[in-house]
Amino acid sequence: MFDSTALHKTIEMLPYFLNVLGIGALTTVGLTAAAFVVAALLGFCLALMRLSRSRVLSLIASLYLEVFRNVPILTQLFILYFGLTYIGITLPAIGAAIIGFGLNGAAILSEVFRSSIRTIDRGQSEAAYSIGMTRAVAMRIIVLPQAFKVAIPGMANFAIGLLKDTSLASAAAVPELTFKARMLVSETYQTNLIYFLLAIIYLVLSLVLSHWAARTERRLKVVKEN
Amino acid sequence: MGYGDLWEATHVELLAACWATLQLAFGALVIGLIVGLLVALARLSKSRPMRRAALIYIEVFRGTPALVQLFIVYFSLTEIGIQFSSFQAAMIGLGLNAAAYLSEIYRSGLEAVPKGQVEAAKAIGMARHNVLRWVVLPQAIRIVLAPIGSVAISLLKDTSVASLIAAPDLMLRAQDLSSVYFMPLEIYILVGVIYFVLCYPLSLGVRLLERKTRH
Repeated sequence: MFDSTALHKTIEMLPYFLNVLGIGALTTVGLTAAAFVVAALLGFCLALMRLSRSRVLSLIASLYLEVFRNVPILTQLFILYFGLTYIGITLPAIGAAIIGFGLNGAAILSEVFRSSIRTIDRGQSEAAYSIGMTRAVAMRIIVLPQAFKVAIPGMANFAIGLLKDTSLASAAAVPELTFKARMLVSETYQTNLIYFLLAIIYLVLSLVLSHWAARTERRLKVVKEN
Repeated sequence: MGYGDLWEATHVELLAACWATLQLAFGALVIGLIVGLLVALARLSKSRPMRRAALIYIEVFRGTPALVQLFIVYFSLTEIGIQFSSFQAAMIGLGLNAAAYLSEIYRSGLEAVPKGQVEAAKAIGMARHNVLRWVVLPQAIRIVLAPIGSVAISLLKDTSVASLIAAPDLMLRAQDLSSVYFMPLEIYILVGVIYFVLCYPLSLGVRLLERKTRH
């Protein structure tokens, strides 16, 4: 393992590894972003449903939450994957993964949104109603802009978790970062080096994401103080 | 074949695998609780290198997927001569992963006890270990209990990842059975229900604890 020709060969292969893993990383980022959008839209609807005055809507949303939060995401992905085939929809693996992570993420994000909306003082909504705003308008122009700032750290945590969870899509043959790494390992047997690189790439991606979130949060706070 | 027949045919194997999953989660939780405590103590220690090392541990384990950590424990360590079974590797990997989260929970618990209380206890002549034993820990434990419960639930769900390094858990058994019976959708739904039955009572328990600690 430590003779110099082997080391030399390894170093020669490094650009190839980085190239393949780089493409995988782009897929991972794309998958994360797409699933995040699905999760945010659906999660927002679920949060409004849970906060609504209709008991039926609120119950449906709670049921959704309990189911998606108490079953492993890997199991959910498999059910969705085979379920879609069963009802005759054949999606490319990445499409199924986007839907799966989106549906699962909606349960997590809806809690982030709901608790952020709750932190906004009720007096503000009441003041808005008393000057004649409807519930919907008060929500849109008074509550949500403030709640959004409160939600940023929770959204960032979710995004980092999502980024890491997308590695599970490799089990469904989505050609993302972890999948590419496994291909490289079975192709070259450079297990240590490839998994080390894999870990580093994930680490860099999640550090970038958390710094970006922290900066956004800081910037919004400054705006607020002006 | 309906769900009833399928359950009839597979329940012995599924329940055995369920037991393996519970063992895996419990073992990983114990490892996580112990290693997490060590990391938290390092993080709060007076030595700078210790604090730095603990911080790196936390960043690395929280910044990379559990799956990748399992690959490294299972495949990479084998390559340099440390060999674990896939089950042991999964337990160690998931345990080390949980430790990163648990250490932050311990730390927040210890830091949540107001400094004034510690100073007051010292002022009436209590020894350092007595302050920890009678003042800090009873309050800290109450604070950390619910978050530790949340980690336990995540851990129980994350054991499914172990199937990807072929550790014999519920998910791996589901894979085997779905290729035996050619009913993947039904098997995975069945397994999903089992996970739900395991996790939901824990979720309710954690919520109860959360409500108790808030009041």
